[in-house]
Amino acid sequence: MDLLLKELPQQLVNGLTLGGVYALIAIGYTMVYGILGMLNFAHGEIYMIGGFTGWWVLHLLSRNHQVVMNAAVVIALMIVIAMGVSAFVGVLTERFAYRPLRNAPRINLLLSALGVSIFLQNLVLNYQGAKARVFYVHSLIPESVRLIHLGPVVITLTRLIVIAVTFLLMALLSIMIKRTKAGKAMRATAQDLEMATFLGIDVDRIIVLVFIIGSALGGAAGTLVGLLFTQVDYYVGFQAGLKGFTAAVLGGIGSIPGAMLGGIILGLAESLAVTFLPAAYKDVVAFVILVIILIVKPSGLLGEKIQEKV
Amino acid sequence: MRKGYRLFFIIALILCFAGFLARAHAAGLIDPSTGMKVTEIHIGDAGSFTGDAASPCMEIFHSAQIALDEWNAKGGIHGVKLKHIMGDDAMDPAQGVNVAHKFVSDKLMYGVIGPPMSHIAQATLKIYGRANLACITTAASKPNLTEQGYKHFFRVNARNDSHGWNCALFIKNYLKAKRVAVLNEKVAYCENMAKETIKGLKKLGIKDIMQETIVGGSKDFSPVLTKVKAFKPDVLFFIATTAPDQAIGVRQMKELGIKAIFLGTEGARDKKDFIQASEGAAEGAYVYHFAPDIYAIPAAAGYVKTYEKKYGTISGFGPPAYEAMNILLAAIDRAAADGKITRKEVVEELHKTKNYKGILGFPITFNAKGDLEGGATYFFKVVGNDFKQVAVMTGK
Repeated sequence: MDLLLKELPQQLVNGLTLGGVYALIAIGYTMVYGILGMLNFAHGEIYMIGGFTGWWVLHLLSRNHQVVMNAAVVIALMIVIAMGVSAFVGVLTERFAYRPLRNAPRINLLLSALGVSIFLQNLVLNYQGAKARVFYVHSLIPESVRLIHLGPVVITLTRLIVIAVTFLLMALLSIMIKRTKAGKAMRATAQDLEMATFLGIDVDRIIVLVFIIGSALGGAAGTLVGLLFTQVDYYVGFQAGLKGFTAAVLGGIGSIPGAMLGGIILGLAESLAVTFLPAAYKDVVAFVILVIILIVKPSGLLGEKIQEKV
Repeated sequence: MRKGYRLFFIIALILCFAGFLARAHAAGLIDPSTGMKVTEIHIGDAGSFTGDAASPCMEIFHSAQIALDEWNAKGGIHGVKLKHIMGDDAMDPAQGVNVAHKFVSDKLMYGVIGPPMSHIAQATLKIYGRANLACITTAASKPNLTEQGYKHFFRVNARNDSHGWNCALFIKNYLKAKRVAVLNEKVAYCENMAKETIKGLKKLGIKDIMQETIVGGSKDFSPVLTKVKAFKPDVLFFIATTAPDQAIGVRQMKELGIKAIFLGTEGARDKKDFIQASEGAAEGAYVYHFAPDIYAIPAAAGYVKTYEKKYGTISGFGPPAYEAMNILLAAIDRAAADGKITRKEVVEELHKTKNYKGILGFPITFNAKGDLEGGATYFFKVVGNDFKQVAVMTGK
């Protein structure tokens, strides 16, 4: 037991980082669901494309695994360009795979999303190959500050960067949704799409905006994970998408604070599960928590009861 | 009835005549099982020549080709030329089965190099076995491939169970470990390897063993490594299939401040995807491999020179294939010495292979099952951007 307590703080750090990333992915799921009522299964692939874009930017700005300009600028560029490319791909999928099916039965949209997911995965496989791409991150972070020791806990600077960027992005999103006009329009559209149309809100534009924001956050998550775990391959979107989706459902799908909370709970649950049980049960614990919460509170932790639209 | 007699008589006459003709062409080679004249000897090469494992498999093919070319330059076998035929399974057992059917139906084929993947070797075992077509694999290490009663299947690489025992010996005697953590991926090869190693460690009196599992390709091993850190092991045996996963493993181990010695699998013997990808974290780590450092063996110098001139650098998968092709052709040569050859004869001759001294640096003898006697495991240490061979374990 003593040993377990010693590793707990470290596991909290592990879980918090992972949870933050899950939360960023979950936001994309939850925003699209909130407005279109569909599960965007291609979201995991958007995340993967974000990861590849980040790798590509780093690769272009490096010579012999050494970055050619200020490291902070490189990291910022990686994240911003990844967000841009992911947002672009997100908008394209919305325009060509989802909008034509807006009035079709939900199941068609779902199948279309699965199709997009398989398409994007194979596209990247075709152009990048199956081999993992490595982020050579050593020149980004100087040796002296790479590891930070806090008592028994070791935190890498990349972990801190990931946690900081994640929370910054989530804060910006919350402000945007609460305070801006576009945020208000998004909330209105989520509540009642038809009514929003009557009130003069350009719903198509709001939907595009939702895809831009959700995909950009997914892309940021992809690059952040690349920085943290130093590798990306064409298949990472599947696992990440599944976890992000679970986090969204856990927090209450459709609710943005719920997605944030769900992600962090899921990340912590996985890390802590490894402490107390054999590592093989990591995912089992995460999904048992999901099942229990859905039984006790079917709408998820922060989900509102879905009102029947009259 | 009478017609039957006549037919029999005519056939017998034709056969006598054919026999006479064959005798007249004394230099030729005859296969009594098919009654055909062997105009060319075909050697199949089954492997995954496209897809993720293409580069090691092409190295196998090229190395086998070098051996075959050398035999052809000497005039072939019994005056008959040799031909090397590629059969690509793309790592898919279903395609492996197609390759096997194609090879088996080739009447001029007397042996096959491969398949190098255990799961494909398993899927095709019956097909080659029924046809008595000799197969020598150069990499498939799953133990039960040679435990199913087939006589045609041989390997020049050691099995997982001897690798496991050899790794246990290395951990105890070379690395002098007292506490050992074993992490293994949840796939057949890795689980088997972990089981055999732990069995060996216990036999050697090491009691403090921790075993945990990882998921291949999951990119984050920090939760399970945090658990390993609390265990304070002397050695961490990280049993994963691919080099990229092991690069992340060794990097995260260092980041968490785990002081243990990292021991990786044969998959990690990859300069780019393991040493470089870990950005220095792999320095001082060890990996095991079924093939030795070919550059350190004088007998291999000729092969190395030819290979590098024609195909580039050698990773370690090629030399056993050069050896396997030579062993196979030597057996065919012995079988063909009397002017007659059958597939069954080739298998029988292969079983007689004893103390064959080639380029691998140890004599090769097949036991009754077709396994290498006293299977060897080689250990390498990461020094700078290279692997340095530090030990060989042969079960003792």
